[in-house]
Amino acid sequence: MSSHHHLVWNGELTTRLRLIRRGMYLAAPGMLWILLFLALPSLLLIVVSMTTRGDYGQIEWVFSPDNFTRLLGFSSYGWSADYLWILFRSVWVAFWSTLICVLLAYPLCFHIANRAPEKRYFWLTLIIIPFWTNLVIRAYAWLLVLAPQLPFAKFAAVLGIIPEGSPLYPSAFAVYLGMVATFLPFVAMPLYANVEKLDWALVEAAKDLYAGRARIFWHAIWPQTVPGLSVGITLTFIPAMGMFVVPDLLGGAKYMLVGNLIQQQFGTSRDWPFGAAVSLALMVLTLVGLRVQRKHSGEGGVA
Amino acid sequence: MRRFHWIVPFTAVGSLVFLYVPLLAVAVFSVNASRFGLTWQGFTLKWYQRLFANEQILEAAWNTLFLAGVSTVIATVLGTVLAIGLKRYPWSRRVYTLLDINLHLPVVTPEIVFAAALAVAFGLLRMVFSVFEPGMLNMIIGHVTFQVSFVALVVGARLASISTDIEEAARDLYADNAYIMRHVMLPLLKPGIVGGAMLAFTLSLDDFVISFFTAGPTSVTLPLYIYATVRRGVTPDIHALSTLALCVTVILVMISERVTRKTNKE
Amino acid sequence: MRKILFMALAMVLLAANMAMAADKELRIFIWSEYMPEDFVPNFEKETGINVRVDYYESMEEMIAKLQAGGVSQYDIVVPSDYLLPTMVNLGLLARIDHAKVPNIKNLDDLFVNPKYDAGNTHSVAYQWGTLGMMYKKGKVPGDPPSWAVMFDEKKQAGPFVLIDSVREMLGSALVYMGKDVNTTNPADLKALADMMLKVKKSKYFQGFEVGTGARSKVVAGTAVAAIVYNGDGLRAVAEDPTSGFANPAEGAVMWVDNLCIPAKAPNPEAAHTFINYVLDARNGAHLSNWTQYPTPNKAAKEFITPEDLANPAIYPTKEYVNKLQLLRDLGKDNRLYDELWTMIKTR
Repeated sequence: MSSHHHLVWNGELTTRLRLIRRGMYLAAPGMLWILLFLALPSLLLIVVSMTTRGDYGQIEWVFSPDNFTRLLGFSSYGWSADYLWILFRSVWVAFWSTLICVLLAYPLCFHIANRAPEKRYFWLTLIIIPFWTNLVIRAYAWLLVLAPQLPFAKFAAVLGIIPEGSPLYPSAFAVYLGMVATFLPFVAMPLYANVEKLDWALVEAAKDLYAGRARIFWHAIWPQTVPGLSVGITLTFIPAMGMFVVPDLLGGAKYMLVGNLIQQQFGTSRDWPFGAAVSLALMVLTLVGLRVQRKHSGEGGVA
Repeated sequence: MRRFHWIVPFTAVGSLVFLYVPLLAVAVFSVNASRFGLTWQGFTLKWYQRLFANEQILEAAWNTLFLAGVSTVIATVLGTVLAIGLKRYPWSRRVYTLLDINLHLPVVTPEIVFAAALAVAFGLLRMVFSVFEPGMLNMIIGHVTFQVSFVALVVGARLASISTDIEEAARDLYADNAYIMRHVMLPLLKPGIVGGAMLAFTLSLDDFVISFFTAGPTSVTLPLYIYATVRRGVTPDIHALSTLALCVTVILVMISERVTRKTNKE
Repeated sequence: MRKILFMALAMVLLAANMAMAADKELRIFIWSEYMPEDFVPNFEKETGINVRVDYYESMEEMIAKLQAGGVSQYDIVVPSDYLLPTMVNLGLLARIDHAKVPNIKNLDDLFVNPKYDAGNTHSVAYQWGTLGMMYKKGKVPGDPPSWAVMFDEKKQAGPFVLIDSVREMLGSALVYMGKDVNTTNPADLKALADMMLKVKKSKYFQGFEVGTGARSKVVAGTAVAAIVYNGDGLRAVAEDPTSGFANPAEGAVMWVDNLCIPAKAPNPEAAHTFINYVLDARNGAHLSNWTQYPTPNKAAKEFITPEDLANPAIYPTKEYVNKLQLLRDLGKDNRLYDELWTMIKTR
């Protein structure tokens, strides 16, 4: 067998078996850790999703597909699309939040890349700071901005969008604000890495050929930024679908996303089996999302 | 300097304003004398004073740092050797793919699903081992799980840029495995390890969801504390606490920039 | 590297040390703002027991936490009457040793051997009260106001906050509809669902919140009405003269909160000491004078502020008591309410 043959590996005379064994010693602790505390628990989630909630909120090991039919909308009160609607809404919100972030990130990155090199550091720091600021703080900060005493809510009240003296939350609008503010740095940072190294000769060439702005962007700039953009989109779309803090604080009961539904099942509803089923649905959506994203960007996605 | 359509700088500055308005609002209201509501009633620092008298907040601050510190150390060690073991040895293609998928799991799994899986797993583990009750141990386990993979990815990227020639050269000079690891690999990997550790540390500080599902009564962290208080009705103390956290973030970002630039130069 | 490892080791030792120190304490898991500020310090002084207090914002949250491992981390929890059978069935509660709680003789007859916990085997009443309405004065008609300002689209007077607690929320809605708060009649539940969904769609609906959150919204002026527990409302009103509190005209849900000991409490000895401390006449009165809830403690009545005894928002009048309804544990039928609630919250 080849594993018993001697071979030279990075200058060392050894056997394949010895190398693999040594590699295993190094990789095993970390790999096992992930396997034990993420991979296996995820499989457990599949098992639990097929159990039943007992009358008092305990897990009963009675296996049935009920949680999944319930997810599809069947309950004691007849059929309704509630849960499907929440799943759809989560994808929808994630999609638009990501798109808005991308649209804002391009000008932001161009603007920064266009500063004198010694000043770029300062501008970049301006993006990095929110990136590292705790999510809970950034989400609740919007509660202050949208409070009824502040001009934004007063203005909206004058326009008749909300009753006077109301805050601008909980609402879909507030959720979008929170989402875009949360994820803009996630798109901007990887995108900037590409924009900074942009080959402007291509742009000049396109200009010489009298291409319009849109065509220049599409043919000369966009292809060069795809790797960073694709990382940014992955970093935004996937966490946005499962986001819990932002819709919880800014959407309340008015704009529930799948992240809140999962938390609710594990929290106040005490229905772990159904919570597990919803988690699996989110996991499937995520994998589909990764697939689609990878197909469209070739290599360069995170996964 | 290139000239862009005016929309570009306008949108860019607008986006930054959009990112900072809420943070500024928090800072402003943290020095507002009004107890209830959001009308300006004069400058005060009393909310900051109250912070340092609040044992719960001090305990939460300590828990946050302890959790981040311990989990980062564990994750950095595990992640670094994991990256070396995965990238520097002749795995068969199929095994490598499986290991790589496992390594990426924490990156692609939505946080809330990860948290739910952990909650279920700890719930069942608790039936056998009572140490897995909600608390610091569970939180550290959860944090290490996602940190390991980020550290391994950062270190792995650095590893890819180090030629195996160096290893060979050391071997030609009769260095043994341990010597190569200690005096060749680790020094070369240092920027990657430092970068990975800093990423892991900040990820832990930033985490809310995993902690939310695994914390116990004595292991509340600052994000959990802030969240619980906000749900109860925001108070000015929380503005002060958040402003301080923001300042710490700014300082951390500055330090990390310095360190990265320095290690990159080395 | 060695330095880092050393630091980590030091941290672990320190943490272990802290855990040891924490072992002796009494851990109370209770609603926020449910004890006067000096209550715990006084108890600590008198007994030498260290106390750690942790708060929850809803009954469901409390049970969920206990089920997720909290059952071995807290010594005292304070569930409402209608949840006791559920918690006992889930094995979450320990029996109370009456020999260690001599002051149990102080309990008012109403709370001795209650229906929800025969023989007080697992619970001792802590406070009782009603779910009423806090409102902005001048913005909400009627004295006392009607539940209609929330549940009737045409009579809504401004932004309002509902309560984030399944049975209590739906119970209050059923009171407004003139139905039994424990109904399992499909037609009633259907009507309830329709009404709640309509209410939720109202432009004035400000969300489901519990206790302090809802209250501070009325104080801050972001809502003109909110469903709150009577004591919560009365305490807020005392600080903010622009707000008022009343038990609405149609009636209200009544509740009894109870001191209980989780099944695997780390320090049950101290828990019994605490229960006995609360049941002391003077301590019980001190508690209720501050919480503004009626006391279930017969012996404490003589130390209760006379104005409070005369306040119908705290101690309801004889006629109004007939309009109060107590929630019951519905066993298998709890599911009807759980499903209804999830539907209302998600839609």
